[in-house]
Amino acid sequence: MEQQRILFESGNEVAAYAAKQINYHIMGYYPITPSTQIAEFLDQMKADGEHEISMIPAEGEHSAAGICYGASTGGGRVFNATSANGLMYALEQLPVQSGTRFPMVMNVACRTISGPLCIKGDHSDIMFTLNTGWIIFFAHTPQAVYDMNICALKVAEQVKLPVIVAFDGFFTSHQKRRCMVFAEDKVVQDFIGKYEAVYSALDLEHPVSIGSYMNEPDVVNNKFQLHLAMEEAAKVIPQVFAEYEGLSGRKYTTAEGYQTEDAEVLLHLLGSSYHTAKVAVDRLRKQGKKVGVFTTNILRPYPADALYALCKNAKTILVGDRQDSYGAMGGNLSMELKAMLQERGATCRVLSRVYGLGGRDFYESEAEELFLSCFEENVPRFDYLGKYPGEEGLKEEQYFAPITEKDASPGMTTCIFEEKTGKYVVEGGKINDTTAMPKRLAPGHGACPGCGIPVNVNLLLRGIEGNVVLLFQTGCGMVVTTGYPKTAFKVPYVHNLFQNGAATLSGLVEMFHERQRRGEYPRGEITFVMVSGDGGMDIGMGSALGTAIRNHRLILFEYDNGGYMNTGYQLSYSTPKGAKSATSHVGPKQYGKTFFHKDMPQIMAAGGVPYVATVAESNPVDFIRKAAKAKAYAAKHGMAYLKALSACPLNWGDQPNLERKVIGTAVDCCYFPLYEVEQGITTINYDPGQRKPGIEEWFAMMGRTKHLTHESYREVVADIQNEIDRRWEVLKAKAANPML
Amino acid sequence: MEKALTLPVTNENGYYEIRLESIGGLGANLCGKMLGELGAVYLGLNAASFSSYGSEKRGSPVKSYIRWAKAEDEIGINSPVETPHILGLFHEALAGKLPVTAGVTKDTKIVINTDASPDEVRKRLKLCGGEVFCVDALKIAMESKTRVNMVMLGAIAKAGGFIPMEAVEQLVQDTIGKKYPHLIQENLEGLRRGYSENQMAFFAEDGTYERVEYKEANNKWGYANAPIGGTNPRFGSTVSSDLSASRQGYIPLFIQDRCINCGLCDTACPDFVFQFQRGESNGKSIMRNMGLDYHHCKGCLRCVEVCPTNALVTGKEREHPNPQWAVRNQDLIAEHLEFEEVGANSWVTSKSHFTEKRMDGGVV
Repeated sequence: MEQQRILFESGNEVAAYAAKQINYHIMGYYPITPSTQIAEFLDQMKADGEHEISMIPAEGEHSAAGICYGASTGGGRVFNATSANGLMYALEQLPVQSGTRFPMVMNVACRTISGPLCIKGDHSDIMFTLNTGWIIFFAHTPQAVYDMNICALKVAEQVKLPVIVAFDGFFTSHQKRRCMVFAEDKVVQDFIGKYEAVYSALDLEHPVSIGSYMNEPDVVNNKFQLHLAMEEAAKVIPQVFAEYEGLSGRKYTTAEGYQTEDAEVLLHLLGSSYHTAKVAVDRLRKQGKKVGVFTTNILRPYPADALYALCKNAKTILVGDRQDSYGAMGGNLSMELKAMLQERGATCRVLSRVYGLGGRDFYESEAEELFLSCFEENVPRFDYLGKYPGEEGLKEEQYFAPITEKDASPGMTTCIFEEKTGKYVVEGGKINDTTAMPKRLAPGHGACPGCGIPVNVNLLLRGIEGNVVLLFQTGCGMVVTTGYPKTAFKVPYVHNLFQNGAATLSGLVEMFHERQRRGEYPRGEITFVMVSGDGGMDIGMGSALGTAIRNHRLILFEYDNGGYMNTGYQLSYSTPKGAKSATSHVGPKQYGKTFFHKDMPQIMAAGGVPYVATVAESNPVDFIRKAAKAKAYAAKHGMAYLKALSACPLNWGDQPNLERKVIGTAVDCCYFPLYEVEQGITTINYDPGQRKPGIEEWFAMMGRTKHLTHESYREVVADIQNEIDRRWEVLKAKAANPML
Repeated sequence: MEKALTLPVTNENGYYEIRLESIGGLGANLCGKMLGELGAVYLGLNAASFSSYGSEKRGSPVKSYIRWAKAEDEIGINSPVETPHILGLFHEALAGKLPVTAGVTKDTKIVINTDASPDEVRKRLKLCGGEVFCVDALKIAMESKTRVNMVMLGAIAKAGGFIPMEAVEQLVQDTIGKKYPHLIQENLEGLRRGYSENQMAFFAEDGTYERVEYKEANNKWGYANAPIGGTNPRFGSTVSSDLSASRQGYIPLFIQDRCINCGLCDTACPDFVFQFQRGESNGKSIMRNMGLDYHHCKGCLRCVEVCPTNALVTGKEREHPNPQWAVRNQDLIAEHLEFEEVGANSWVTSKSHFTEKRMDGGVV
């Protein structure tokens, strides 16, 4: 056995640790809870110089999967990690990876699939991958996450198939446990050996075409080859496990059980619940109940024989499904087990219980109840555990009266089209007067103290009189306002996932106009406003640009706090260059984020949007007036795009009370210049002139950028300053020349 | 590793269990991780630790759970700690309507961050019994320029009664000292003062207060009455959340006769605290600032910073339990409002560098 040491870490941490020891060539990723930490830990280790993996933050999981696929065709080792809707977004790429036979390893920290949006753990995501042609390991402890990550790559490279290492989100991904890891990385590297790709797009001496255009009769043969590879995997996996046992002293089998031999009643569970049920088995055995539990460590290739050997003597098997295949009277674990038993002529009773959805805990007492129910005759074949009907006869009053159009039209900010100049002119928008605008959001939302999001949304909506309908993409703004069973919204609101909010609102806007046209909906105006973070403008950029080009009559408002704050501040494309984040750590080998912040207003302006403007809370009157102008454009001309720089005291590392000054400094130093582009013509609304400070002044105000003020980062800062000055000069040139 | 420690008591599964109840930003998550690591790496035990999860928001309820067992015993249970041997309460305000004391018996050691005495704490928390350790962690943290979690860690080590302080000090050295060597003295001082500066009293289960059983929280809406699809028709219902527990000891105080009704406070407040109504000033009809809805004030003090006339100033919450100019949200039509002390979303999804960052400096 090789020398090992104890780590007290979570499943995510040891997955990252295994990847570091393997020293993959490329990791393409996009952060999503609960798998995000894997990339975070690897980035930290990268900054500290502990590995050489090239870490590529994609703008969404679909691209992350693409990066991984492309990298894997280049003959090296590739790694990814995702969860839930990230996995769903990447799903289309999974059969490409397996069908063209390029091995890689992807960790899936299992989480509930939206909607409604849920960030907690169940198995509704992983079961979608059963038909993708990937080998699927399921680790039920952090230790197994580490061990399986090492075995997975060896299996993948032997049979030329990609492998998923799945485990319970939170229960395994976040729970810290005592884990043994190899003291030397070399032990891991020797175990997996050298990778020799069969085909490589970088092999110039043997040029190959990867990804043929193939129909019948050939696809049958291609898929049969994939099937054969799975059959081979079924043989290779036990061999790799056995070899690994010699190295680690830890034994893995494709399926395993506890007290199954003489058990009359068996539970079949996947993941961390297996261990909870073992505790229940011990207790019930003391009472003389013949019970046991079994699980599978591999979902594909399905270890039918190993599972049958464990459960063939049972009279009743209760399958706990942590997801449902709605309408099939059981989740996938149930259906696969039933098919396996039928094939072998088994006659035992199989019950299905959907449990633990959305991260609901599985208690030992519940495992005991499940066991005991199996000794009864008349129990339903299928049911949901943990459901409840709710309070009978519940009557609840509304807290507020709906905001009427009249309430929301005090006439404090007006925008009129001036015939002679051909421009919109805004009047009013004064701070005192506009306090008369009703708040479209209620207090009591869960945003952090001092958060900029509610401040900016409030300023925006102050300038928009009349009816509004809101759409928020996933992000802090959405999570803190709509935690069920409450909502902060006092006007109609829709959420959709952040790769698709703009398209969703396009559909809603067009439904409004179409129903009005058909006379089904009263005449009148509604301003449709989409609110997104800068993260949503990364993954949702395609959808937003499509909406811009189609020019729907809506406002797209982006609050830019420069990071994926809802998941714990990973870098976004709008994070300032040099800033530290959970995926751009500062260390001896890394200075923070390595590329410039994205200039979304200019991208939108290039898309020909009728009205583009930047706003900041430090200039509140300008903000409110631009909101009114955006409303006028959205009513008559099409899409208006507004972007605010939005403070995040938690992750910027500054004081909540000082945020307005921090924003003001960003405006003054022209990191975030205030301007508008009206029908293609640029106007600068605020020119700091001689007062324009250097970017260092702003960087010094925030913990995330403070390190840049040290002289060792002088070149990085000079580089950033040049880019900011260049963008500012371009803006001034555009403002001076309407043709630009 | 030292010789394995013997646990003085364990539950029927063979675990020694600790539960920490806190709000985001006080470092309970890190404290929980450290207690787990203490068991697994420094005390020769098997250990597990995890926190309640969700999106990471400062100022919302957080729970952390720790299990210790004999090195050779498996820890099979992944659900929350229901009947803790030690209960750590990081913030006094939590002891309001949240069932933080669930599972407490006379055998529980309750470590609470408070300036009150054990007798007062028992009354306030309606504790059925137990050994109550009171430590003024906020004050000690401020004085020693460390954070509440270090002081609480010291007090928890003391309450346990079997946890060697040398091991805890070594853990702190290794966890904080390696990355933040300049902060190690402050942290060790906070830890040691937490260990030594606490008041303890034992209360038998004398029937004064009932036990609080641990329960999974259910909502009023279930499958029979919840609107389909998760749609929420109760608009603006977050108004029933009282987020005052998010405050870190300070509130804005309103000095109305200095107010010029400029309205800047209302542009800076993330929590819609300011209540403006139409009224008269110098014969003119204007919007006037009628006061603050303190139920929803999270104490960020943005308003104090933007106020041009110092009509809003910072006050210590303890000194102003009933601030003047406190009004309720003026748009409410519901006559009775039962506030729930909750955060819409709490929890921690990501260790990342913020946990570490919060260890930076002495900001409590």
